[in-house]
Amino acid sequence: MGYVKLPIGPQHPALKEPENFTITLDGERVVNVDIRIGYIHRGIEKLMETRTYTQNLYLVERICGICSYAHVYNFTQNVEEILGLQIPKRAEYIRTLFLELERLHSHFLWLGVAGHEIGFDTLFMYTWQDREVVQDLLEMISGNRVNYAMNAIGGVRRDVSQEHRKKVLESMDYLEKRAEFYKNVAINEKTILARAENVGILKPQVALRLTAVGPTARASGISVDIRKDDPYASYLDTPFEVITTDTNDVLGRVVVRVLEIVESIKIIRYLMEHLPEGDILKKAPRKIPEGESISHTEAPRGEDIHYLHSNGTEKPDRYKVRTPTLANLPATAEMLKETYLADVPIIVAAIDPCMGCMDRVLLLKDGQEKPGELISGEQLRRYGIKWYAERGWNA
Amino acid sequence: MTTPEEHILEVLKGLPVLMTRSHRLFLSIPREDLIKTMNILSSELAIQHLSTITARDKGNDLELLYHFMLQGVVITIKTTCPKNDPTIDSIVTIFPSAILYEREIHDILGIVPRGHPDLRRLVLPDEWVGGYPLRKDWKPPAEQEAEE
Repeated sequence: MGYVKLPIGPQHPALKEPENFTITLDGERVVNVDIRIGYIHRGIEKLMETRTYTQNLYLVERICGICSYAHVYNFTQNVEEILGLQIPKRAEYIRTLFLELERLHSHFLWLGVAGHEIGFDTLFMYTWQDREVVQDLLEMISGNRVNYAMNAIGGVRRDVSQEHRKKVLESMDYLEKRAEFYKNVAINEKTILARAENVGILKPQVALRLTAVGPTARASGISVDIRKDDPYASYLDTPFEVITTDTNDVLGRVVVRVLEIVESIKIIRYLMEHLPEGDILKKAPRKIPEGESISHTEAPRGEDIHYLHSNGTEKPDRYKVRTPTLANLPATAEMLKETYLADVPIIVAAIDPCMGCMDRVLLLKDGQEKPGELISGEQLRRYGIKWYAERGWNA
Repeated sequence: MTTPEEHILEVLKGLPVLMTRSHRLFLSIPREDLIKTMNILSSELAIQHLSTITARDKGNDLELLYHFMLQGVVITIKTTCPKNDPTIDSIVTIFPSAILYEREIHDILGIVPRGHPDLRRLVLPDEWVGGYPLRKDWKPPAEQEAEE
């Protein structure tokens, strides 16, 4: 029997965000995968060249709705490096607190999505309820649930009070109990084992060759974590373990993330118990001298790397962002080969993809569309049929 | 015990490596030496982690920055190509993860990686004809039309 080419996406009920997978099938077995991205490309890199550094603080945060703080942290670290500005120690601790709260809520969110993808919606309801505890903490300190607007160049904009500390520590006690429960679920629950064990295999040598990052790499036994390898913020002071497993499958990616939740709770406790006294913000100039800087952080999904080139004005000359999902894509295509079609959603979900961040780079339309460019639903349908026909698929 | 930086500097002895701060190394090379340098990184330093490729418009030239990581140290290889001949040797055969990053710089800055196996668009739509948006002289299509 011949192969069947199955286009999934850009719009498809199984996908949370628009991307296109063209899957070549031999019966139920996946032979080849081609991934097409760019459907939510927003032109942020180009846009950043037209904004001042202060405006960019808030733009860069909107690259992603989940790991927004990792991006804004990278941005401020780059600018501060070119300025040669050492920020107050208390501000570093508060920034680290936000980096870890973000990892907590992101991993809880992912655990729910993974449960949902394998039809285990009870887990989804449980984890998203617990995620709200973290969201409440973020809102309590920063005033925002998603884009926290915490950073300024030279420090942070809001302080952590005694009451905040008390509430954070109380919540950590609760979340630690929950994390123990999820650890148990991940290792023993039959639904998860049946769907995740030996699924989406990524061998360590393949992960290294294709530069997988974050929990995806760590579940293949590669001990890579920017927090340890190139310590930033206050990670040098903070004791924590890098979690790895050697099962190379989706189950390993579940276990790594659950155990990372436990580590994050430990880090947050340490930060709250050792929070230094002092200022939280240093004054920074508006104009940034000519220079270049590279900053990378361990975002919840893996290495997030930013490059800044400044030219002595109030606006950056070039700003480049590479998010972890893009780095994990070649490895994902490898994981999908030789699996079954029914496992595709969970394997893709297991890298914790974030297409919104990945696609960011440029301006497709500049907001001044000509009236003639609006097309009707019928035209769109015909365009879609033509698009696929040109590529040899039958509608 | 030698630090990762010392190890890298030792292997790359004789090359103009610049250390801007701990964990950050830069090396500028002419574009003819790109493959030779990549082979040194791959075989003698056993680097596998290519973080990304940045490209930027410098006026008459386009600059490329290949960011590698070895034990937390970011090693950046810099090279340039002139705008009237925006080509560069593809490094996909040495570092397979470059495949998407080379497609991206081809898309947004019009740099052609010679020998790349699959130069389809990555972030822009397939039918895009509006030029290379990250070049400094680029204008959005509506403005381009208004001028004509």
